[in-house]
Amino acid sequence: MDIMNIDIMDILMYAVYILIFPGLLFTCVFGLWLAGIDRKVVARMQHRKGPPLAQPAYDFLKLLGKECIVPDGAARITFLAAPWLGLASLVVTVLFIPIGGLQAFGTGGDTVVILYLLTIPTLAMILGGSASGSPFAGVGSSRTMVAIMSYELPLILIILAVGKAAGGYGVTFSLGQITLFQYLTAPFILDWRLVPAAIAMLFVIPCEVGQHPFDVGEAETEICEGPLVEYSGAPLAVFKLSHAIKMFVMTALFSALFLGGVTTGMLWLDIVLTLAFCSVVTLVCMSLLHAISARFRVEQLFKFFWTVVSGLALVSLLLVWFC
Amino acid sequence: MFKKLIDNAASKSPWLFHINAGSCNGCDIELVAVLTPRYDAERLGFKLAGTPRHADIVVVSGPVTVQSLDRVLRTIEQVPEPRVIVTLGSCPRSCNVFKGSYAVAGPLDKYVPIDVSIAGCAPKPEAIIDGLALATKILKEKREAMK
Repeated sequence: MDIMNIDIMDILMYAVYILIFPGLLFTCVFGLWLAGIDRKVVARMQHRKGPPLAQPAYDFLKLLGKECIVPDGAARITFLAAPWLGLASLVVTVLFIPIGGLQAFGTGGDTVVILYLLTIPTLAMILGGSASGSPFAGVGSSRTMVAIMSYELPLILIILAVGKAAGGYGVTFSLGQITLFQYLTAPFILDWRLVPAAIAMLFVIPCEVGQHPFDVGEAETEICEGPLVEYSGAPLAVFKLSHAIKMFVMTALFSALFLGGVTTGMLWLDIVLTLAFCSVVTLVCMSLLHAISARFRVEQLFKFFWTVVSGLALVSLLLVWFC
Repeated sequence: MFKKLIDNAASKSPWLFHINAGSCNGCDIELVAVLTPRYDAERLGFKLAGTPRHADIVVVSGPVTVQSLDRVLRTIEQVPEPRVIVTLGSCPRSCNVFKGSYAVAGPLDKYVPIDVSIAGCAPKPEAIIDGLALATKILKEKREAMK
C-alpha cells in the first residue's frame, strides 16, 4: 500500500482494531471470561462451589492496586518491561486470527507470523524471571524453555497438516484461506485425516497457556510460580492478564484451524459463536485436564510431547499428504 | 471510578500466605481444611499464594520460636502493601503451652501489629473463615486509606 494513500479513516480503523475489537479491550474481557469459567468448572468438578465468574477480573483489579516491589538484585528496566512486551505481542497475535469471519490483518503468511508472535509472551516471562535474580525464577525460566521446545514441534506439524489440507497442491500459510476453504467444504474437525492433529492441538493448547498438568515452569506448589516469584502489583496483574488472553488466543486459533468457516454473515452472531466455541474448547482441553490430573515432571512433559503429541500430528500430516 | 473498582476488588480477591512459626501442625491442617471442598474458601476468592510477594493476607501459626523469628519478620516485610496480618490459633498471641520456654521468642505482637487473631487450639474451620472474612474487610479499609 502506498503510504500517501492512508487517510485518517484508515488510521482510525486500525486504532479501533488494535485497541477495541478484536484487539486489547475485546481480548481482555473475553480472556478473563474464559479464565473465570475455567476456575468455576474446575471447582464444580471437585464438588466445590467455586469462585464467582468475575474472580479473574477481581484478581486483576486487586493486583493493580497493590504496591509494586522491585527486588534489589533485579535488572530494573527488563523486570518492569517484560510483562508489557508479552501483553503487546499477544494483542498483535489476535489481529491475525479470524474471529467470526473478521480478520484485522490478513497476510499470506498468518500462521508463520502467529508461530513467532506466540513465543514472545513466553520469552517475556523467561526474560522477566531471569531479570528478577531469584533462584526460583531461574529454575522456572529454564523449565519454561523446555516447555517451549516441547510444544513448538507438534504445533508446527499441526499447522503444516492443516495448511496442506486447505492448500490443495501446495501448503497455505494464510489463515484467511484456511477458514475460507472450510467455509466452502466442511470444518476440518469432521475430516478423518485431521482428527489426530485436532487431538494433538488439544494437548498443545494447555501447554502453551501453562495450564495445570503442563505448568512445569510455574509449578505453584513446587517452585512458587517460577518466573513470577518476585513479581507483585501491576506487573503481576499484566502477567495474569496475559495468561487469560493466551487462553483466548489459543482457543480462537483452534477454532480457526479446525472449526473455521462457521460464519453466518452477521458479525455479532459470529462473535457469540466464537465465544461459545472458545468456551467449549477451554472446558475440554483445560478445565477437564486440570481437574483430573496431577502435574507432569519436566522430562515427562518433554517425552510426552515429542512422542505422543508429535506422533499424532505427524500421522495427520502423512495422511493429508498421501491420502 | 477506576479507583473505586480497585478498592472494591481489594476485598474480593484475598491471597493467603501461610507462615509456620514453630506450630505443632494442628492449625496448619485446619487452614488447609478451609480450602477443601467441604468449606471451599475459594468461593470468597481465597487462594494460597506460593510466595509472599503475591500475598494480601499473612497467616502466622505457632508460638514464634527463636529460630523462626527473623524469618517471620523478613517474610512479612516482603508482602506488598496493603497487607493484613492474621494469627492462627492461641500460640502466636500467648505462646500457649510453650510460654516461658527458652526456645520461644513470641508472642508475635511484640514485633509486628496484628490485625486479626483467630482463637482456638486448634480453631474450627468456621472460625478461620470468619476471621479471614474480617481480614478482607480490613484489607479494603487499608486499600482505601492508601494515597
